[in-house]
Amino acid sequence: MAVVAVSLFAALVARLWFLQVLTAGEHELAAERNQRRVVPLPAPRGRILDRNGEVLVANRASNVVTVDRAELNTLDDDERKSVFIRLGAIVDQPPSLLEAALDDTSLGPFAPVPVVEGVDEEVLIEVRERQSELPGVDALQLAVRDYPHASLAAHVLGYVGAINADELAAAGGPGEPGGYRRASRIGKDGIERAFEDDLRGVDGEVTLEVDAQGVPIRELSRREPVQGDDVVLSIDLEAQQVAEEALAQGMAQTQGRRDPETGEAVIDGGSTVVLDVREGTVTAMASWPTFFPADFVYEITPEQFAGLNDPAQGTPFVNRALLGQYAPGSTWKLVTALAGLETGLVTPDTVINDPGFFIIPDCVRRCRVQNAGAAPSGEVALSEAVTVSSDVYFYSLGARFWQQRERLGKTPMQDMAELLGFGTRTGVGLPVEAAGRLASPAVRAAQYEANPDAFLTGDWFIGDNVNVSIGQGDVAVTPIQLANAYATFATGGTRYQPNLALRIQNQDGTVIREVEPRVGAQVELPAGARDPIVEGLVGATQSADPKGTAYNAFAGFPHDVYPVAGKTGTAQTGGGREDDALFAAFAPANDPRYAISVVMERAGFGARWAAPVARSVLGSLSGLEEPEPVAPVAGGFA
Amino acid sequence: MQTTAASRGLGAVLRRDPSAPWRHLDWPLVGAALAITGLGCLMVFSATRTSMAEAGLDPYTYLKRQAVFLVMGLVVMAVVVVVDYRSYRDFAAAAYLASLLLLVLVLTPLGTEVNSAQSWFSLGSFQLQPAELAKLTTIIVLAATCSTGRSPLTRQRFVVSAAAAGLPAALVLLQPDMGSMLVLVAVLLGVMVVAGARARHLGALVAVGALGVVAMFHFDQVDDYQRDRFIDFASSDEAARGTSGFQGEQAETAIGAGGLFGAGLYQGTQTKLGFVPEQQTDFIFTVVGEELGFAGSATLVVLYGVVIWRIWRTALLAKDSFGTLLCAGVLAMLLFQVFENMGMSMGIMPITGLPLPLLSYGGSSMLTTCAALGLVLNVHMRRFS
Repeated sequence: MAVVAVSLFAALVARLWFLQVLTAGEHELAAERNQRRVVPLPAPRGRILDRNGEVLVANRASNVVTVDRAELNTLDDDERKSVFIRLGAIVDQPPSLLEAALDDTSLGPFAPVPVVEGVDEEVLIEVRERQSELPGVDALQLAVRDYPHASLAAHVLGYVGAINADELAAAGGPGEPGGYRRASRIGKDGIERAFEDDLRGVDGEVTLEVDAQGVPIRELSRREPVQGDDVVLSIDLEAQQVAEEALAQGMAQTQGRRDPETGEAVIDGGSTVVLDVREGTVTAMASWPTFFPADFVYEITPEQFAGLNDPAQGTPFVNRALLGQYAPGSTWKLVTALAGLETGLVTPDTVINDPGFFIIPDCVRRCRVQNAGAAPSGEVALSEAVTVSSDVYFYSLGARFWQQRERLGKTPMQDMAELLGFGTRTGVGLPVEAAGRLASPAVRAAQYEANPDAFLTGDWFIGDNVNVSIGQGDVAVTPIQLANAYATFATGGTRYQPNLALRIQNQDGTVIREVEPRVGAQVELPAGARDPIVEGLVGATQSADPKGTAYNAFAGFPHDVYPVAGKTGTAQTGGGREDDALFAAFAPANDPRYAISVVMERAGFGARWAAPVARSVLGSLSGLEEPEPVAPVAGGFA
Repeated sequence: MQTTAASRGLGAVLRRDPSAPWRHLDWPLVGAALAITGLGCLMVFSATRTSMAEAGLDPYTYLKRQAVFLVMGLVVMAVVVVVDYRSYRDFAAAAYLASLLLLVLVLTPLGTEVNSAQSWFSLGSFQLQPAELAKLTTIIVLAATCSTGRSPLTRQRFVVSAAAAGLPAALVLLQPDMGSMLVLVAVLLGVMVVAGARARHLGALVAVGALGVVAMFHFDQVDDYQRDRFIDFASSDEAARGTSGFQGEQAETAIGAGGLFGAGLYQGTQTKLGFVPEQQTDFIFTVVGEELGFAGSATLVVLYGVVIWRIWRTALLAKDSFGTLLCAGVLAMLLFQVFENMGMSMGIMPITGLPLPLLSYGGSSMLTTCAALGLVLNVHMRRFS
């Protein structure tokens, strides 16, 4: 028995030695981990400012009471009710209303549901103090995004939301430098996403000593968060406001149509883009219909989100300036004219007879195409053809290109379009952008080969060239491409990748980084092309005889001090629907500063609908006109 | 005028009679026991002061009560010491039957359930655990039974002894109180080995016990938490450990975090922040480990070693086999409890609800242990008379 006793005591001492001497280090660590809780202090994001320092997106503190459904579900019905009764007394709201917030299925079962937002500081403190009576209830102060101009520039700004699993994996987890946490919020779209690294700042953290129940005892250490840097945009608040208002006013008058195929009411969208052709930046970018980024401040419901992407509601979420792909119609005649001069097919003085219709040579069927309204223009040279938008003139060019393809190559128009930036993304720097489409014999053949059932033929006919000459026939451009092409012509060949930001600066206004202009290409435009084409484009807005297609829209405009070089476009959309209305321009024509494009889906004639929107915006940019409510103008079939 | 020893005064007695019991008190045993109880009061205070203060209560509550228990224990010890231990043989049967009766009564609605075991009588603010009393009476009965007749034990006396320990063991198991049951088994084995039981009898007893355990598991007579504790103990896989594994882990963490010299009195974070459950009672050793480190814990182990050694020595010196066996029973009881309690705190024994004698907070355990030590002191000082 003595042996037993001695060996038992030896075992105890040995174990003590093992725990307290040999492995003491790891136990100390475990004890330290036990008592410490690291609570992150999210950094406020940097602001987003317009070019003059006007605040477009800021932060505000919001006190939020949240409930944890998972924890509340562990209570029985009576307990849960009494939690809501107590909470109701604190926040001065009926308990039933608070409980109803639980039915919100938009969030995952584990995400805390905000039941009351924007409560007073005292409420925050009381909820925290009475934690033991309020299981599952938490109160926190969040720095949330604040939008002083509501929906203004929503598509440009984007929005901020809770990080998802993919973003977390891509951005680097909590352990990594600059990593995110599961509860982090992240820029989801627009500038918020494109400049996430500048805007997000550096999260701080506070280390608390807690007891076994997780109740904080005291603060051990604290690292303050560092607010993110401000992004100064090239956007001009005033220009953006005018552009959005003009577009919205114009669009409002085109609504109320039904889809001819389904018979359902449709909402058509529109877009306008203003570029600063000297800076290579975006001055305004509007897409209609739009949305309110503030809806994303807390969590957006699936219904709300679906509505933002619902075609029946006009897909407000889609930034049409970058993602809308439209047949350019007559705005494309800039391309065809430049191609004609570049190849030497025509000179500015080459005269073509426009009887109002055109018989396609070497053609099998559907060989007669006509001007809009079948109006004859008579003998026209390049400038006048642009001013009056003579389809026949450009049909003729399209046909001749094909007939002389041995000499001129198969794709002189497409080649010129590429030089102007069509068919590739402008690289404006927002997360998503469409590339548009350039129809050509090679593309047609490749499409047919890839999917023979979907296409009638893989061959390219002269009629296709005729279609392309006036911006139809499977050519598609985005509004920003259209504006950038006109900007490229206006600068004499400098094609920028437009920037949306001018610089990054910290909260003191110290510049962290200038965003340098990016030249996408230096294009050599055909010699002698500029003057006749500018003359034709200026004529479109101010020539009474022959009457420019946008003459009515620009009636009374201060042409002498601020001449506008513009082109209307009316693009067929097929399926019995109305045409898309387009307008593209730059101004002042003699010393270009801005380029603009306006696209209004299924509005009708570009001269009637799109040109007035552009006039309103350019009038305001010129500083010479007060913006007036946009109204469609009479006359003009272009 | 008649003169009695008492009226002549203690000094006179001591001077005149060198074999008087008072001259042979085992001071090392008393000293070690007092040192442990003193440390225990401090540890109980450290384990409870923060949480009591946070609850807005007197942080000294537990310390005061433990001090009261200690005084009561010393009184009980003195009473036990005063009466010649040989006369306990006469009361053995009655006390034993009384404690059996209490064990039965505690299972009725008269008893109170604490921590899912029906182990307590509530008497006002004091709670009595009859299992503690049963340990004591069982030791006396076993010593009485096994000390009559010659060594080795005859089969008949072996069976009677086994039954005498088996009855209370079975009753405490019904509460269920696995820990006390194991103490009774340890006491039985300790007394029998010293009494000279035959190896084959002991072998048979162990076999029956093993069969019993297997049968209990097989017929699902083991509570879930008990099985979990065992599985947690047997499993080396961290992930497989459940909530009772958490308790053990936190205890190990607390002890290990103490290191060589400990965090210092009242400085243990595991202790202060309440990470170890039941810390002032069953897991009191974690406070010693965390706050006093290896130096303090090892000293405590040595103090228990002194206690065990002195009991062992008394068993050898005892004047008769009844005294020897009393000491053997007390020794087995304390040795098992100390080893099991410290062992479970350090993760080398499964978790059972046993207090650490003299150190853990609690009246019943304190009184029982004091009484048991009183028996040993009694045997020691009457070894010549």
